[in-house]
Amino acid sequence: MTCEEFERVGWNAERDATVSAEERAAAFAHATHCPVCAAMEDSWLAAKMELRGLAAVTEGAETPARVEMRLRQEFRARHRSVRVRRGAMVLSWGLAGVAIIFSAITWVNWRNARHDLQVATSKNSQTSATEAGSGAQAPAISGDAGGSSEALIADSSGDFTPLPGSMFADSDSASIVRVRMQRGSLTALGLPVNEEQAGEWIQVDLLVTDDGLPQGVRLSP
Amino acid sequence: MTIEERVADDVLLARAAKGDEEAFTLLYRRHQAALFRFALRMTGSAWAAEEIVQDIFMTLAREPRKYDAGRGALGAFLFGVARNRVMKHLERAPRDISLETDGEDTRIVSTVLQDSFTPAVWAEQRERVKQVRDAVLDLPSDFREAVVLCELEEMSYEEAAQAIGCPIGTIRSRLHRGKALLLAKLELLRDVPRRANAAR
Repeated sequence: MTCEEFERVGWNAERDATVSAEERAAAFAHATHCPVCAAMEDSWLAAKMELRGLAAVTEGAETPARVEMRLRQEFRARHRSVRVRRGAMVLSWGLAGVAIIFSAITWVNWRNARHDLQVATSKNSQTSATEAGSGAQAPAISGDAGGSSEALIADSSGDFTPLPGSMFADSDSASIVRVRMQRGSLTALGLPVNEEQAGEWIQVDLLVTDDGLPQGVRLSP
Repeated sequence: MTIEERVADDVLLARAAKGDEEAFTLLYRRHQAALFRFALRMTGSAWAAEEIVQDIFMTLAREPRKYDAGRGALGAFLFGVARNRVMKHLERAPRDISLETDGEDTRIVSTVLQDSFTPAVWAEQRERVKQVRDAVLDLPSDFREAVVLCELEEMSYEEAAQAIGCPIGTIRSRLHRGKALLLAKLELLRDVPRRANAAR
């Protein structure tokens, strides 16, 4: 074994599993004959002892306790905030779900009500057309169409049912006109009427504005 | 309820990921000392080692899914993270190691040495340890890592190669160069020149 080979193998022979027994024996034999390599190995052994000393000094070294405390605080804070965030997310999804369900129910109800109104209106229109053909007249705003009528000075607009599309804002300038007419004629004002009672005579008060358009209606006693 | 010591790291980590603080603490206590020693021996700074260990476990608490059990043990994963942090620290501040020699590191040395020696022997021993430590810290980081793992941590070549992620031959060659440099430095410290090619 040469000095170069010894340098490569000799120092590490005892720790290196890849060095064969023959190489170890050759390294040992070389160290006994070569004073330079023997001195080198001695020197390394001395340095190794000193490294052992350094290792022993730091053997018991541990992270200070404050690090564990800091980490635990961080861990706690982190998982608390995750829990809060998760709770907020569940709550917001829940609220969104409730809002969607509420909107859907409202929409379905509105659609059903609209459909019912359309059905009633179309049926009443047919009835009115039939009645108009047999001589019955739709109530006129002037009050002379349905029979007896009288104009009253409006002093109150209470319990009037607003007609579809009416603006019930300025009731002081409106008049109340009492009209006698068949119940079916209310469909002409856009109100739903029970078809079975369409031919019944009723007396109603119409709230009429200055421009002659009825804004509300109520059954008069 | 305390968690038993024999519970596997993977199980503890899974519990910690779900917010089990006790599991996280147990994981920390299992691994902190080895990681701290490695970081301390590599950086020569107790402060830096403390920061590195804290950083490792912060990362573990924040992103436990970074660890893949299929790729090895948690200890090896943490060691890999520690190694990266140490290398980053050495790149960032390669020369700040000597500033702390009178600080906590000296306290660690003193605490261990003062037990069984007379003051004179203790002072001499302390000085010797300091010289060796400085010589180790003065090695280039690759060689230092090989020396720290194989000589101070007493890992086998295979274990060191696995920890660093390189072939055994690389470890052998780095260790050889590291030893040669270390010898040269220690001989210079003692004013005993022995062999001209030792640090080659």
